[in-house]
Amino acid sequence: MSFVIWLTGPSGAGKTTLAHALEKKLREIGLNVEVLDGDGIRSKLYPDLGFSEKEREMHNRVVVEMAKLLSKNGVATIVSVIAPYKKWREYARKEIGRFVEVYLRCPLEIRIKRDPKGLYAKALRGELKGLTGYNGIYEEPENPELILDTDKMSVEEEVEAVLRKIK
Amino acid sequence: MCMATGKTPGELGLYGFRHRKNNSYKDIWIAHSLMVKEKAVWDYLGKKGYKSILVGVPPSYPPKKINGWLISCFITPDSSVNYTYPPELKLEVENLVGEYVFDVVFRKEDRDRVIEEVWEMTEKRFEVIRYLLQEKDWDLFWFVEIGLDRIHHAFWKYFDKEHHLHEPNSKYKNVIRDYYKLLDREIGKTLKLINEDTVIAIVSDHGIKRMKGAFAVNQWLIDEGLLKVRNSLSSGKMIKFEELDVDWNETIAWAWGGYYSRVFLNVKGREPNGVIRISEYDRVRDEVAEAIKSIRGPNGEKWDTKVYYPEDIYPTAKGDKPDMMVYFDDLYWRAAGTLGHPSNYLPENDTGPDDAVHSEYGVFALHLPGMNKSRVVDTTIYDFAPTILKLFGLDDITVSMRGVSLI
Repeated sequence: MSFVIWLTGPSGAGKTTLAHALEKKLREIGLNVEVLDGDGIRSKLYPDLGFSEKEREMHNRVVVEMAKLLSKNGVATIVSVIAPYKKWREYARKEIGRFVEVYLRCPLEIRIKRDPKGLYAKALRGELKGLTGYNGIYEEPENPELILDTDKMSVEEEVEAVLRKIK
Repeated sequence: MCMATGKTPGELGLYGFRHRKNNSYKDIWIAHSLMVKEKAVWDYLGKKGYKSILVGVPPSYPPKKINGWLISCFITPDSSVNYTYPPELKLEVENLVGEYVFDVVFRKEDRDRVIEEVWEMTEKRFEVIRYLLQEKDWDLFWFVEIGLDRIHHAFWKYFDKEHHLHEPNSKYKNVIRDYYKLLDREIGKTLKLINEDTVIAIVSDHGIKRMKGAFAVNQWLIDEGLLKVRNSLSSGKMIKFEELDVDWNETIAWAWGGYYSRVFLNVKGREPNGVIRISEYDRVRDEVAEAIKSIRGPNGEKWDTKVYYPEDIYPTAKGDKPDMMVYFDDLYWRAAGTLGHPSNYLPENDTGPDDAVHSEYGVFALHLPGMNKSRVVDTTIYDFAPTILKLFGLDDITVSMRGVSLI
């Protein structure tokens, strides 16, 4: 039985960067590691899936189920999805045994500056509605195992902080 | 395989012959040809239409398809299996020399028998080699004679006065010298069959030196409180690590024996009953490494022990890697994985008589047609594959390799 590290936070908060840094570190230690990336799952499994609440819920269920199966079979699993709704993350926590929820917190102006996928630029031009963390809903976690202020921390510090939370 | 692929053990995911199976405590797998995923020199040559003959290149059992001919290496179980590519070649080999010999069990007391068997093996191999050289088309001919390694291990103490078990004026004192003479004769006969345009290389994949003893590394780990077992070890009976009743919930580290030792840490989330928290991994590994480096010899003398972390010394560390690779006293002391010994310092190898250990530097000699002056080069094992590829004009492939061509 391995563990699941669930990274949550709006676009541009640094989930992908941290997920890959964690993956590299855990692999170095010799663990079997898998990263479940929101975009990856969407493009490979459900290319036509939209972003309505229902569709997002379905996506979330798939991610939880995959993470559960992987960790049950000894694979350390890093989930890197926005998962904007609290109730779904709580569902994940309930379903998965060893669960570390990490909230990546980052002020909007920094996220706009980073904008790795150009989503904020689109939203600012009015071409994108419902962008999570801008004009779409993002419910902050109430009791995550860890909160990282990613505008103030280096990736190495973040990795160290997450590893300390793995019991 | 580093020599043939130009890749490091980390890139190959091969750290020796034995490997731990998927972080388990006791399941292992042994390296064989199908575990090699990287392309070797002969694969690149085959694509360009060049033919290769390989004899005894480890690991080449089970035999894989190549553009040419292949006889597998010393890991082959015995001559009843299919050991050639193409399979029909086996019959040609056996018509020539009868039962082909892959290896000799050298860790046994009957030394006369070892001599007899090594001589028979080497003579048969050279006969097969000379046959293939003459009867087949080839552009690359690569063969490995394992006999030299076996002779060093079995007879080192008889000639080396510095060896702690040296027996002066033994009837075996010239066995190694005689074996070199045999090799010299066989190589001489073989070279006569080769035309002047042929490039010739003599290489080894490790060096060799006298063994000073074996260090019972798991006994030391118990002394240090890093390994906890429920067995009584005071009976004086040797016990294998696999037979131990380990208290994994209280164990930090355990080790494997060999010419170099592999040390494993018991990590939570990685091993079934891991205890080291992932956030503590780096600190614990450094502490165990420091403790290992401070081990002194049987008379309190300082040792030059080296501890390597795979991901530090290789660009990537794939597969079932150990947490640490340890050279006790710069390899002069091999590691004994067994326990129940009266001391941690054993005069003999725990798995049968063995007088020599592997050392870091092997031999390399290359002769190019028309060469009339010798020169000394600084080289590593990774330069060999690029050098051979360059000879065939395949420079473009060598770009991604760690080594560089010597010509």
